[in-house]
Amino acid sequence: MRSHGRILATKWGMNPNSSSLGVDVTFLLVGMTAVAMATPIVGALIRWRRPAAQPPAGASAPSARSVRDA
Amino acid sequence: MIARARATLARWRDPLPQARRSRIEAFGAIVQLTRPRALVFVDRDRARHLGLEGGAAWADPAADGELDRGPLSAPLEAHLQLTNRCDAGCAGCYTGANPAAGAGEWGLAEWRRAIDALADAGVFHVALGGGESAVLPWLGELVDHARARGVVPNLTTSGLAGLDRLLPIAEHFGQINVSLDGLGATYGAVRGFDGFARADAAIRALRSVKREIGINVVVTRANFDELPGLFAYARRRRLTEVELLRWKPAGRGAAVYQRLRCTDAQHRALLPTVLAATKRHRVRVKLDCSYTPMIAHHDPGPALLAALAVYGCTGGDFLIGAKPTGAITACSFAAPPPPLGDHRPTVTELGAYWSRPDAFGRFRAWRAPAEPCASCAYLPQCRGGCRVVSGHAGDLGAPDPECPRVVDHAARQPRERRHLTVV
Repeated sequence: MRSHGRILATKWGMNPNSSSLGVDVTFLLVGMTAVAMATPIVGALIRWRRPAAQPPAGASAPSARSVRDA
Repeated sequence: MIARARATLARWRDPLPQARRSRIEAFGAIVQLTRPRALVFVDRDRARHLGLEGGAAWADPAADGELDRGPLSAPLEAHLQLTNRCDAGCAGCYTGANPAAGAGEWGLAEWRRAIDALADAGVFHVALGGGESAVLPWLGELVDHARARGVVPNLTTSGLAGLDRLLPIAEHFGQINVSLDGLGATYGAVRGFDGFARADAAIRALRSVKREIGINVVVTRANFDELPGLFAYARRRRLTEVELLRWKPAGRGAAVYQRLRCTDAQHRALLPTVLAATKRHRVRVKLDCSYTPMIAHHDPGPALLAALAVYGCTGGDFLIGAKPTGAITACSFAAPPPPLGDHRPTVTELGAYWSRPDAFGRFRAWRAPAEPCASCAYLPQCRGGCRVVSGHAGDLGAPDPECPRVVDHAARQPRERRHLTVV
Protein backbone atom coordinates (compact mmCIF):
# COMPACT_ATOMS: atom_id res chain seq x y z
CA MET A 1 0.00 0.00 0.00
CA ARG A 2 1.34 3.43 -0.92
CA SER A 3 2.28 5.62 2.04
CA HIS A 4 0.38 8.86 2.46
CA GLY A 5 3.31 10.29 4.36
CA ARG A 6 3.53 12.00 7.72
CA ILE A 7 2.34 15.15 9.38
CA LEU A 8 5.45 16.43 11.12
CA ALA A 9 3.94 19.25 13.16
CA THR A 10 0.90 21.46 13.45
CA LYS A 11 1.19 25.06 14.58
CA TRP A 12 -2.23 26.18 15.76
CA GLY A 13 -3.67 29.67 15.55
CA MET A 14 -2.29 32.95 14.30
CA ASN A 15 0.22 35.07 16.08
CA PRO A 16 -0.81 38.71 16.52
CA ASN A 17 2.15 39.49 18.70
CA SER A 18 4.60 41.57 16.77
CA SER A 19 7.52 40.87 19.06
CA SER A 20 7.86 37.10 19.28
CA LEU A 21 6.50 33.80 18.03
CA GLY A 22 3.54 32.71 20.14
CA VAL A 23 2.67 29.05 20.21
CA ASP A 24 -0.58 27.57 21.46
CA VAL A 25 0.37 25.22 24.29
CA THR A 26 -3.17 24.38 25.38
CA PHE A 27 -2.63 20.91 23.93
CA LEU A 28 -0.02 20.22 26.60
CA LEU A 29 -3.03 19.62 28.86
CA VAL A 30 -4.05 16.57 26.88
CA GLY A 31 -0.68 15.08 25.99
CA MET A 32 0.77 13.12 23.10
CA THR A 33 -2.04 10.57 22.87
CA ALA A 34 -4.64 13.21 22.12
CA VAL A 35 -2.31 14.95 19.68
CA ALA A 36 -1.77 11.64 17.88
CA MET A 37 -5.53 11.09 17.76
CA ALA A 38 -6.04 14.56 16.25
CA THR A 39 -3.45 14.01 13.53
CA PRO A 40 -5.69 12.00 11.16
CA ILE A 41 -8.32 14.73 11.46
CA VAL A 42 -5.77 17.36 10.47
CA GLY A 43 -4.70 15.11 7.60
CA ALA A 44 -8.29 14.85 6.40
CA LEU A 45 -8.75 18.61 6.61
CA ILE A 46 -5.70 19.45 4.53
CA ARG A 47 -6.77 16.83 2.00
CA TRP A 48 -10.33 18.14 1.93
CA ARG A 49 -9.47 21.81 1.42
CA ARG A 50 -8.92 22.84 -2.15
CA PRO A 51 -5.75 24.66 -3.15
CA ALA A 52 -6.13 28.42 -3.31
CA ALA A 53 -4.98 30.34 -6.33
CA GLN A 54 -1.99 32.54 -5.55
CA PRO A 55 -3.23 36.14 -5.57
CA PRO A 56 -1.32 38.12 -8.18
CA ALA A 57 0.72 41.21 -7.46
CA GLY A 58 -1.45 44.31 -7.56
CA ALA A 59 -4.57 42.33 -6.76
CA SER A 60 -7.61 44.25 -5.62
CA ALA A 61 -8.97 44.13 -2.10
CA PRO A 62 -10.67 40.85 -1.20
CA SER A 63 -14.34 40.32 -0.78
CA ALA A 64 -15.92 40.82 2.62
CA ARG A 65 -16.53 37.10 2.91
CA SER A 66 -12.98 36.01 2.32
CA VAL A 67 -11.79 38.63 4.80
CA ARG A 68 -14.27 37.51 7.39
CA ASP A 69 -13.54 33.84 7.10
CA ALA A 70 -9.79 33.75 7.01
CA MET B 1 -28.72 26.60 19.25
CA ILE B 2 -29.72 24.43 16.28
CA ALA B 3 -29.56 27.46 13.99
CA ARG B 4 -26.09 28.28 15.27
CA ALA B 5 -24.95 24.70 14.72
CA ARG B 6 -26.31 24.78 11.17
CA ALA B 7 -24.57 28.07 10.46
CA THR B 8 -21.29 26.69 11.80
CA LEU B 9 -21.64 23.55 9.72
CA ALA B 10 -22.41 25.62 6.62
CA ARG B 11 -19.28 27.69 7.15
CA TRP B 12 -17.16 24.56 7.54
CA ARG B 13 -18.62 23.03 4.38
CA ASP B 14 -18.25 26.15 2.28
CA PRO B 15 -15.07 25.42 0.31
CA LEU B 16 -14.07 28.92 -0.73
CA PRO B 17 -12.92 30.46 2.54
CA GLN B 18 -11.31 27.18 3.50
CA ALA B 19 -9.04 26.96 0.49
CA ARG B 20 -5.58 25.94 1.57
CA ARG B 21 -2.30 27.58 0.68
CA SER B 22 0.96 25.73 0.70
CA ARG B 23 4.67 26.23 0.34
CA ILE B 24 7.29 23.73 -0.71
CA GLU B 25 10.12 23.13 1.76
CA ALA B 26 13.15 20.83 1.61
CA PHE B 27 11.51 18.54 4.19
CA GLY B 28 8.19 18.47 2.30
CA ALA B 29 5.72 21.33 2.52
CA ILE B 30 3.82 23.66 4.83
CA VAL B 31 0.07 23.78 4.36
CA GLN B 32 -2.01 26.63 5.74
CA LEU B 33 -5.53 26.04 6.95
CA THR B 34 -7.83 28.97 7.63
CA ARG B 35 -10.43 26.92 9.50
CA PRO B 36 -9.26 25.66 11.84
CA ARG B 37 -6.36 28.11 11.83
CA ALA B 38 -3.18 26.14 11.51
CA LEU B 39 0.06 25.68 9.65
CA VAL B 40 0.65 21.99 9.00
CA PHE B 41 4.17 20.73 8.29
CA VAL B 42 4.17 17.57 6.17
CA ASP B 43 6.83 15.33 4.68
CA ARG B 44 7.27 14.80 0.94
CA ASP B 45 4.99 11.76 0.66
CA ARG B 46 2.17 13.64 2.35
CA ALA B 47 2.85 16.65 0.14
CA ARG B 48 2.66 14.47 -2.97
CA HIS B 49 -0.59 13.02 -1.63
CA LEU B 50 -1.91 16.60 -1.68
CA GLY B 51 -0.80 17.09 -5.26
CA LEU B 52 2.35 19.08 -4.49
CA GLU B 53 5.70 18.55 -6.19
CA GLY B 54 8.94 19.91 -4.79
CA GLY B 55 11.17 19.88 -7.86
CA ALA B 56 14.71 21.05 -7.12
CA ALA B 57 13.82 21.77 -3.49
CA TRP B 58 13.47 18.03 -2.97
CA ALA B 59 16.76 17.09 -4.64
CA ASP B 60 18.39 15.93 -1.39
CA PRO B 61 16.70 12.70 -0.25
CA ALA B 62 18.21 13.00 3.23
CA ALA B 63 16.21 16.17 3.90
CA ASP B 64 12.83 14.45 3.54
CA GLY B 65 10.89 14.90 6.77
CA GLU B 66 13.82 16.62 8.51
CA LEU B 67 12.22 19.83 9.69
CA ASP B 68 15.18 21.07 11.72
CA ARG B 69 17.92 20.34 9.18
CA GLY B 70 18.23 23.93 7.98
CA PRO B 71 16.35 27.23 7.82
CA LEU B 72 12.99 27.30 6.09
CA SER B 73 12.78 28.63 2.53
CA ALA B 74 11.18 31.79 3.96
CA PRO B 75 9.73 32.92 7.29
CA LEU B 76 6.30 31.78 8.39
CA GLU B 77 5.56 35.26 9.63
CA ALA B 78 7.02 38.74 9.64
CA HIS B 79 6.75 41.19 12.51
CA LEU B 80 6.44 44.66 11.04
CA GLN B 81 7.04 47.60 13.35
CA LEU B 82 5.15 50.09 11.23
CA THR B 83 6.00 53.07 13.41
CA ASN B 84 7.84 53.87 16.59
CA ARG B 85 5.27 56.54 17.42
CA CYS B 86 3.29 55.93 20.61
CA ASP B 87 2.00 58.27 23.30
CA ALA B 88 1.72 55.66 26.04
CA GLY B 89 5.27 55.96 27.40
CA CYS B 90 5.41 52.49 28.97
CA ALA B 91 8.35 52.12 31.35
CA GLY B 92 9.55 48.93 29.72
CA CYS B 93 8.76 49.55 26.04
CA TYR B 94 11.05 47.21 24.10
CA THR B 95 11.24 49.61 21.14
CA GLY B 96 11.68 52.78 23.18
CA ALA B 97 8.62 54.24 21.44
CA ASN B 98 7.81 57.93 21.89
CA PRO B 99 5.18 60.45 20.73
CA ALA B 100 7.21 61.63 17.74
CA ALA B 101 7.69 59.42 14.71
CA GLY B 102 11.32 58.41 14.21
CA ALA B 103 13.52 59.61 11.39
CA GLY B 104 13.21 57.74 8.12
CA GLU B 105 10.06 55.82 8.98
CA TRP B 106 8.45 54.16 6.02
CA GLY B 107 5.01 55.11 4.74
CA LEU B 108 2.24 53.23 3.01
CA ALA B 109 4.01 52.88 -0.35
CA GLU B 110 7.12 51.30 1.16
CA TRP B 111 5.15 48.93 3.40
CA ARG B 112 3.00 47.86 0.44
CA ARG B 113 6.21 46.89 -1.35
CA ALA B 114 7.30 45.03 1.77
CA ILE B 115 4.05 43.06 1.75
CA ASP B 116 4.65 42.25 -1.91
CA ALA B 117 8.14 40.92 -1.10
CA LEU B 118 6.80 38.84 1.77
CA ALA B 119 3.96 37.44 -0.33
CA ASP B 120 6.38 36.58 -3.14
CA ALA B 121 8.54 34.71 -0.63
CA GLY B 122 5.55 32.70 0.61
CA VAL B 123 5.16 34.28 4.05
CA PHE B 124 1.80 33.30 5.57
CA HIS B 125 1.19 35.91 8.28
CA VAL B 126 2.31 39.38 9.28
CA ALA B 127 2.03 40.70 12.84
CA LEU B 128 1.71 44.48 12.80
CA GLY B 129 2.93 46.45 15.76
CA GLY B 130 4.82 49.51 16.82
CA GLY B 131 4.82 51.92 18.48
CA GLU B 132 1.08 52.14 18.09
CA SER B 133 0.16 51.12 14.57
CA ALA B 134 -3.54 51.76 15.15
CA VAL B 135 -2.96 55.52 14.84
CA LEU B 136 -1.66 55.24 11.28
CA PRO B 137 -4.25 56.68 8.86
CA TRP B 138 -3.24 54.21 6.13
CA LEU B 139 -3.37 51.04 8.27
CA GLY B 140 -6.61 49.89 6.66
CA GLU B 141 -5.16 50.22 3.16
CA LEU B 142 -2.12 48.20 4.13
CA VAL B 143 -4.25 45.50 5.71
CA ASP B 144 -6.39 45.24 2.59
CA HIS B 145 -3.26 44.98 0.47
CA ALA B 146 -1.97 42.14 2.63
CA ARG B 147 -5.27 40.33 2.25
CA ALA B 148 -5.22 40.85 -1.49
CA ARG B 149 -1.75 39.27 -1.63
CA GLY B 150 -2.84 36.27 0.44
CA VAL B 151 -0.98 37.30 3.60
CA VAL B 152 -3.04 37.27 6.82
CA PRO B 153 -2.55 40.49 8.83
CA ASN B 154 -2.66 40.34 12.63
CA LEU B 155 -2.27 43.19 15.08
CA THR B 156 -1.10 44.05 18.56
CA THR B 157 -2.39 47.32 20.00
CA SER B 158 -2.24 49.02 23.36
CA GLY B 159 -5.89 49.99 22.97
CA LEU B 160 -4.91 53.43 24.26
CA ALA B 161 -5.01 55.27 20.93
CA GLY B 162 -6.39 54.88 17.43
CA LEU B 163 -9.42 52.87 18.47
CA ASP B 164 -11.80 54.96 16.36
CA ARG B 165 -9.74 54.07 13.28
CA LEU B 166 -9.30 50.46 14.26
CA LEU B 167 -12.88 49.45 14.97
CA PRO B 168 -14.15 49.84 11.37
CA ILE B 169 -11.32 47.68 10.00
CA ALA B 170 -11.02 45.19 12.88
CA GLU B 171 -12.75 42.45 10.91
CA HIS B 172 -10.02 42.56 8.27
CA PHE B 173 -7.43 41.18 10.70
CA GLY B 174 -6.95 37.53 11.50
CA GLN B 175 -6.39 38.13 15.21
CA ILE B 176 -6.08 41.28 17.31
CA ASN B 177 -4.55 41.23 20.76
CA VAL B 178 -4.56 44.11 23.20
CA SER B 179 -1.60 44.52 25.53
CA LEU B 180 -2.82 44.13 29.09
CA ASP B 181 -0.07 43.58 31.65
CA GLY B 182 -2.25 43.49 34.73
CA LEU B 183 -5.64 44.17 36.22
CA GLY B 184 -6.34 47.48 37.92
CA ALA B 185 -3.36 48.80 39.82
CA THR B 186 -1.08 46.01 38.61
CA TYR B 187 -1.29 47.45 35.09
CA GLY B 188 0.25 50.64 36.43
CA ALA B 189 2.89 48.77 38.41
CA VAL B 190 4.17 47.15 35.22
CA ARG B 191 3.65 49.94 32.69
CA GLY B 192 4.29 52.96 34.87
CA PHE B 193 0.89 54.63 34.39
CA ASP B 194 -2.76 53.81 35.01
CA GLY B 195 -4.15 52.70 31.68
CA PHE B 196 -6.21 49.68 32.67
CA ALA B 197 -9.63 51.30 32.28
CA ARG B 198 -8.82 52.52 28.75
CA ALA B 199 -7.35 49.18 27.69
CA ASP B 200 -10.35 47.37 29.11
CA ALA B 201 -12.71 49.69 27.25
CA ALA B 202 -10.81 49.01 24.02
CA ILE B 203 -11.01 45.26 24.57
CA ARG B 204 -14.77 45.47 25.08
CA ALA B 205 -15.22 47.65 22.01
CA LEU B 206 -13.11 45.37 19.81
CA ARG B 207 -14.85 42.26 21.11
CA SER B 208 -18.18 43.81 20.17
CA VAL B 209 -17.15 43.88 16.51
CA LYS B 210 -14.82 40.87 16.23
CA ARG B 211 -14.59 37.42 17.76
CA GLU B 212 -10.83 36.84 17.48
CA ILE B 213 -9.68 39.21 20.20
CA GLY B 214 -7.15 38.28 22.86
CA ILE B 215 -4.74 39.84 25.31
CA ASN B 216 -0.96 39.94 25.39
CA VAL B 217 0.51 39.86 28.87
CA VAL B 218 4.17 40.63 29.49
CA VAL B 219 4.89 38.51 32.54
CA THR B 220 6.92 40.15 35.29
CA ARG B 221 7.55 39.42 38.92
CA ALA B 222 4.94 42.13 39.64
CA ASN B 223 2.06 40.43 37.83
CA PHE B 224 3.00 36.73 37.97
CA ASP B 225 0.65 36.03 40.89
CA GLU B 226 -2.15 37.69 38.95
CA LEU B 227 -1.98 35.31 35.97
CA PRO B 228 -5.02 33.24 37.05
CA GLY B 229 -6.94 36.48 37.44
CA LEU B 230 -5.97 37.53 33.91
CA PHE B 231 -7.32 34.25 32.54
CA ALA B 232 -10.54 34.82 34.49
CA TYR B 233 -10.71 38.32 32.99
CA ALA B 234 -10.24 36.89 29.49
CA ARG B 235 -13.06 34.45 30.13
CA ARG B 236 -15.37 37.23 31.36
CA ARG B 237 -14.66 39.29 28.26
CA ARG B 238 -15.16 36.21 26.00
CA LEU B 239 -11.66 36.52 24.54
CA THR B 240 -10.17 33.78 22.39
CA GLU B 241 -6.70 33.64 23.88
CA VAL B 242 -4.17 34.84 26.40
CA GLU B 243 -0.65 35.20 25.04
CA LEU B 244 2.09 35.37 27.65
CA LEU B 245 5.33 37.14 26.83
CA ARG B 246 8.62 37.08 28.67
CA TRP B 247 10.13 40.43 29.58
CA LYS B 248 12.97 41.20 27.19
CA PRO B 249 15.96 43.43 27.94
CA ALA B 250 15.46 45.67 24.91
CA GLY B 251 14.65 49.36 24.47
CA ARG B 252 13.55 50.98 27.74
CA GLY B 253 12.94 47.45 29.02
CA ALA B 254 16.68 46.93 29.43
CA ALA B 255 16.93 49.59 32.12
CA VAL B 256 14.32 47.97 34.38
CA TYR B 257 15.03 44.38 33.37
CA GLN B 258 16.69 43.30 36.62
CA ARG B 259 13.83 44.75 38.65
CA LEU B 260 10.91 43.36 36.66
CA ARG B 261 12.05 40.08 35.11
CA CYS B 262 10.58 36.95 36.66
CA THR B 263 12.51 35.06 39.29
CA ASP B 264 13.88 31.60 38.67
CA ALA B 265 11.15 30.15 40.91
CA GLN B 266 8.49 31.93 38.84
CA HIS B 267 9.99 30.61 35.61
CA ARG B 268 9.85 27.07 36.97
CA ALA B 269 6.25 27.55 38.10
CA LEU B 270 5.06 29.18 34.87
CA LEU B 271 3.82 26.17 32.91
CA PRO B 272 1.81 24.49 35.70
CA THR B 273 0.35 27.87 36.63
CA VAL B 274 -0.85 28.74 33.14
CA LEU B 275 -2.08 25.24 32.29
CA ALA B 276 -4.14 25.20 35.49
CA ALA B 277 -5.53 28.62 34.60
CA THR B 278 -6.36 27.69 31.01
CA LYS B 279 -8.08 24.52 32.20
CA ARG B 280 -10.09 26.30 34.88
CA HIS B 281 -11.15 29.27 32.77
CA ARG B 282 -11.29 27.50 29.39
CA VAL B 283 -9.27 30.12 27.53
CA ARG B 284 -6.53 29.10 25.13
CA VAL B 285 -3.00 30.04 26.09
CA LYS B 286 0.00 30.91 23.95
CA LEU B 287 3.53 31.20 25.24
CA ASP B 288 6.10 33.18 23.34
CA CYS B 289 9.19 31.56 21.86
CA SER B 290 11.44 32.70 24.70
CA TYR B 291 9.47 30.54 27.16
CA THR B 292 10.40 27.26 25.49
CA PRO B 293 13.17 26.52 28.05
CA MET B 294 10.59 26.93 30.81
CA ILE B 295 8.28 24.48 29.02
CA ALA B 296 11.07 21.95 28.44
CA HIS B 297 11.91 22.13 32.15
CA HIS B 298 8.73 20.11 32.83
CA ASP B 299 9.78 17.43 30.32
CA PRO B 300 6.56 17.11 28.32
CA GLY B 301 8.53 15.07 25.77
CA PRO B 302 10.45 16.32 22.73
CA ALA B 303 8.02 14.53 20.40
CA LEU B 304 5.04 16.39 21.84
CA LEU B 305 6.74 19.77 21.54
CA ALA B 306 7.77 18.91 17.98
CA ALA B 307 4.21 17.89 17.08
CA LEU B 308 2.92 21.22 18.41
CA ALA B 309 5.66 23.23 16.67
CA VAL B 310 6.84 24.63 19.99
CA TYR B 311 10.16 26.28 19.26
CA GLY B 312 12.58 28.49 21.10
CA CYS B 313 14.53 31.06 19.14
CA THR B 314 13.44 30.94 15.51
CA GLY B 315 14.61 34.46 14.71
CA GLY B 316 15.87 34.64 11.14
CA ASP B 317 14.15 31.36 10.39
CA PHE B 318 10.45 30.95 11.23
CA LEU B 319 10.13 34.69 11.79
CA ILE B 320 11.75 37.97 10.89
CA GLY B 321 11.25 41.50 12.09
CA ALA B 322 11.36 44.84 10.33
CA LYS B 323 12.10 48.20 11.92
CA PRO B 324 10.05 51.33 11.06
CA THR B 325 12.77 52.18 8.53
CA GLY B 326 12.25 48.81 6.85
CA ALA B 327 15.55 47.38 8.14
CA ILE B 328 15.26 43.61 8.39
CA THR B 329 16.03 41.91 11.72
CA ALA B 330 16.08 38.35 13.02
CA CYS B 331 13.31 39.27 15.47
CA SER B 332 11.74 42.44 16.85
CA PHE B 333 14.23 42.65 19.73
CA ALA B 334 17.32 42.14 17.60
CA ALA B 335 19.47 44.84 16.07
CA PRO B 336 19.57 45.02 12.26
CA PRO B 337 22.42 43.10 10.63
CA PRO B 338 25.52 45.01 9.53
CA PRO B 339 25.23 47.08 6.35
CA LEU B 340 25.77 45.36 3.02
CA GLY B 341 27.65 47.91 0.98
CA ASP B 342 26.03 51.30 1.47
CA HIS B 343 22.87 50.29 3.33
CA ARG B 344 21.32 47.82 5.72
CA PRO B 345 19.18 45.12 4.09
CA THR B 346 15.48 45.93 4.17
CA VAL B 347 12.47 43.67 4.28
CA THR B 348 11.83 44.37 0.59
CA GLU B 349 15.17 42.64 -0.07
CA LEU B 350 14.19 39.54 1.87
CA GLY B 351 14.58 37.21 -1.10
CA ALA B 352 18.21 38.15 -1.73
CA TYR B 353 19.24 38.42 1.92
CA TRP B 354 17.60 35.20 3.15
CA SER B 355 19.88 32.81 1.28
CA ARG B 356 23.15 34.52 2.22
CA PRO B 357 25.34 32.15 4.27
CA ASP B 358 25.88 34.86 6.90
CA ALA B 359 22.24 35.93 7.07
CA PHE B 360 21.09 36.77 10.62
CA GLY B 361 24.48 35.92 12.08
CA ARG B 362 24.40 33.88 15.27
CA PHE B 363 20.62 33.59 15.27
CA ARG B 364 21.06 30.66 12.91
CA ALA B 365 23.99 29.11 14.78
CA TRP B 366 22.00 27.12 17.37
CA ARG B 367 23.07 23.73 15.95
CA ALA B 368 26.51 23.95 17.60
CA PRO B 369 25.74 24.96 21.18
CA ALA B 370 27.70 24.87 24.41
CA GLU B 371 26.66 22.81 27.43
CA PRO B 372 24.19 22.30 28.89
CA CYS B 373 22.30 22.80 25.61
CA ALA B 374 24.54 20.38 23.69
CA SER B 375 23.33 17.40 25.73
CA CYS B 376 19.73 18.57 26.07
CA ALA B 377 17.09 16.39 24.39
CA TYR B 378 15.06 19.53 23.68
CA LEU B 379 17.77 21.33 21.69
CA PRO B 380 16.03 20.97 18.29
CA GLN B 381 12.93 22.59 19.80
CA CYS B 382 14.44 25.09 22.23
CA ARG B 383 17.45 26.10 20.11
CA GLY B 384 19.24 27.51 23.13
CA GLY B 385 16.44 29.77 24.36
CA CYS B 386 16.17 33.51 23.80
CA ARG B 387 19.15 35.05 21.96
CA VAL B 388 18.21 38.53 23.14
CA VAL B 389 18.36 37.54 26.80
CA SER B 390 21.66 35.76 26.16
CA GLY B 391 23.01 38.83 24.40
CA HIS B 392 22.02 41.02 27.33
CA ALA B 393 23.95 38.66 29.62
CA GLY B 394 27.02 39.13 27.45
CA ASP B 395 27.04 36.52 24.68
CA LEU B 396 24.30 36.29 22.08
CA GLY B 397 25.37 32.75 21.20
CA ALA B 398 25.43 31.42 24.78
CA PRO B 399 22.66 29.31 26.33
CA ASP B 400 19.75 31.33 27.69
CA PRO B 401 20.96 32.19 31.23
CA GLU B 402 17.43 32.04 32.66
CA CYS B 403 16.69 28.50 31.43
CA PRO B 404 16.24 26.31 34.55
CA ARG B 405 18.61 23.71 33.09
CA VAL B 406 21.25 26.40 32.51
CA VAL B 407 20.72 27.80 36.01
CA ASP B 408 21.17 24.32 37.52
CA HIS B 409 24.20 23.66 35.32
CA ALA B 410 25.84 26.92 36.40
CA ALA B 411 25.15 26.13 40.05
CA ARG B 412 27.05 22.84 39.71
CA GLN B 413 30.16 24.52 38.30
CA PRO B 414 33.07 25.45 40.58
CA ARG B 415 32.65 29.05 41.68
CA GLU B 416 35.62 30.37 39.69
CA ARG B 417 34.23 28.93 36.45
CA ARG B 418 30.80 30.49 36.77
CA HIS B 419 30.22 33.06 34.08
CA LEU B 420 26.48 32.98 33.62
CA THR B 421 24.00 35.01 35.55
CA VAL B 422 22.37 32.92 38.25
CA VAL B 423 18.85 34.18 38.72
